[in-house]
Amino acid sequence: MCCSHELTEKNLQPLTVNPAFLERIKGMRFFDPHIHMTSRTTDDYQAMADAGIAAIIEPSFWLGQPRTGIDTFRDYFNSLIGWERFRASQFGIKHYTTIGLNSKEANNEKLAEAVMEILPLFIYKEGVVGIGEIGFDDQTPAEEKYYRAQLELAKEAGLPVQIHTPHRDKKKGTQRSMDIAMEHGLDPRMVIVDHNNEETVQEVLDRGFWAAFTIYPFTKMGNERMVEVVKQYGSERIMINSAADWGISDPLAVPKTAALMHESGIDLNDIHLVTFRNAISAFAQSGQINESDFEAVKEIDQSLKFNGSTVLRGGQQPRRDNLSNIIK
Amino acid sequence: MDALYHDEKNKISTLLYSIIQHNSNQQVQEWLQQQKSKLEETNATQRFYGTFTAIPRFTGKNIIPDTTIPEFFIHGYTLDRLARMWWLLQLPTESKDQYVQTIEGLFGAADMNEQIALYGALPLLAWPEEWRLRTAEGIRSNIGPVLEAIMLHNPYPAAYLEEPAWNQLVMKAIFTDKPVHLITGLDKRANRKLADTLRDYAHERWAAGRTVNPLLWRLIGPFIDEVSFPDIVRVWHSENSVERDAATLACASSTYAPALELVKEEISTLSWDSVAARIA
Repeated sequence: MCCSHELTEKNLQPLTVNPAFLERIKGMRFFDPHIHMTSRTTDDYQAMADAGIAAIIEPSFWLGQPRTGIDTFRDYFNSLIGWERFRASQFGIKHYTTIGLNSKEANNEKLAEAVMEILPLFIYKEGVVGIGEIGFDDQTPAEEKYYRAQLELAKEAGLPVQIHTPHRDKKKGTQRSMDIAMEHGLDPRMVIVDHNNEETVQEVLDRGFWAAFTIYPFTKMGNERMVEVVKQYGSERIMINSAADWGISDPLAVPKTAALMHESGIDLNDIHLVTFRNAISAFAQSGQINESDFEAVKEIDQSLKFNGSTVLRGGQQPRRDNLSNIIK
Repeated sequence: MDALYHDEKNKISTLLYSIIQHNSNQQVQEWLQQQKSKLEETNATQRFYGTFTAIPRFTGKNIIPDTTIPEFFIHGYTLDRLARMWWLLQLPTESKDQYVQTIEGLFGAADMNEQIALYGALPLLAWPEEWRLRTAEGIRSNIGPVLEAIMLHNPYPAAYLEEPAWNQLVMKAIFTDKPVHLITGLDKRANRKLADTLRDYAHERWAAGRTVNPLLWRLIGPFIDEVSFPDIVRVWHSENSVERDAATLACASSTYAPALELVKEEISTLSWDSVAARIA
């Protein structure tokens, strides 16, 4: 490396003052199986890497406003397997994705048909670990139609399914999502039911599905509630995620919740299962997760981007000093 | 496509396959052969696409030892990349329209590794003049490994790109800290316009208090004149010995008498490769 970035060891050091929760989870590794990095900044990637997040899954979703053409869908899917994955690798984070037509946009039937046509182009790509996030929003007939069609696609491709459960009428929507998955002959072990709460978890677990919880301020789960859920239901087939996106959300929800669980006396092995191992077990059924890549992403990127400079270690980006008003 | 390309293509295909054979097991080879005969039977685009995408699932990603085939340096390849390159040569070339459309379709939905395989295989594609715009588009990428597949050890850009696109490639390589000495045809395609732009760039860097990649002077050397000579003299006086060597080499490649005069006593053990090695 020679010229564009003159970096010293100091530029690469994490900020000197660590929040208390980081001390508590020092050395732990996390897997966030639901986070929309497209809507997040590089500062988030840095903070996530510092907090021990080794790998993530970015499900396809609604970008905040409806798309009007098939090409924007194509470009979005392309960015999930391309640019966004590369961007994550620059911070030493392994990026996976689930591909699918989200429930909101399933209601634009003409466009939905076109999306269904291009999905097969993407679901067999490397690092695509499932069909998702799909399911119900308003619970309309169109949503049901494309949910069913995508369950068939998942079955054919042997891929796990990541189900988004509705905000409104959640309990019935969750039950209905599971009923339909069973009707299509999916093995519940291949289905991750997301955005659970205290009201839905029991049935999801009883029926053999994976139960994911989204720690998302104000509208979904808070992490104190999550601690209670783990105390009550244990760690089998339970996983947590941040679902951080363009809303007020927290990309550090997984490590923060791990810290809180630790503080609350939850067993380290249970924390490991809920914040790392279970998500890998569920999504690795796609055959697309190789844990050695979590380490490799750090080294490979270093050689690719920085040509063996002695200053830069494992996939690090030049670090901006947030506390200084000087920009170099 | 003409018979010459056809012969050449078959020869390279055989060569690539023998490298694949040396670096894979029976199962992988059977799968590839099976895909090939299925494609020959149906000639279906979906089959061609499906196999191209699925290749890493079946081949794995072992690193292939560096090797050279005619016109081509296989450097740091993984088995899946090599197999994808071989697979591209199995696409029938009878219909130009269909061929170009099919390859463009691959580019249109390619993930990073697929892009690397595709751009790296540019020199092997039929109808080479059809990929100029695609290559220029690739140079706009911000993904380092994709840029490297186009820029480094790849004879296609120097052979086919128009001057503006070629100059973009070289400038982008310098901007993004790529090992520019590994660009095929770097000296052959050096031109005054590029030299002028790079000199402006050096001035910008100096104004910002930043250093300049010493390899940049390699592209300015052959065009040194009374306007640019003071810059070379400045670099020749640098405190940094790599920069001094670069200035010496640049002068040695020029036709400008004062530049040659300046370095006439320097011992000619220097080379751009040794400069490149010292800044790596």
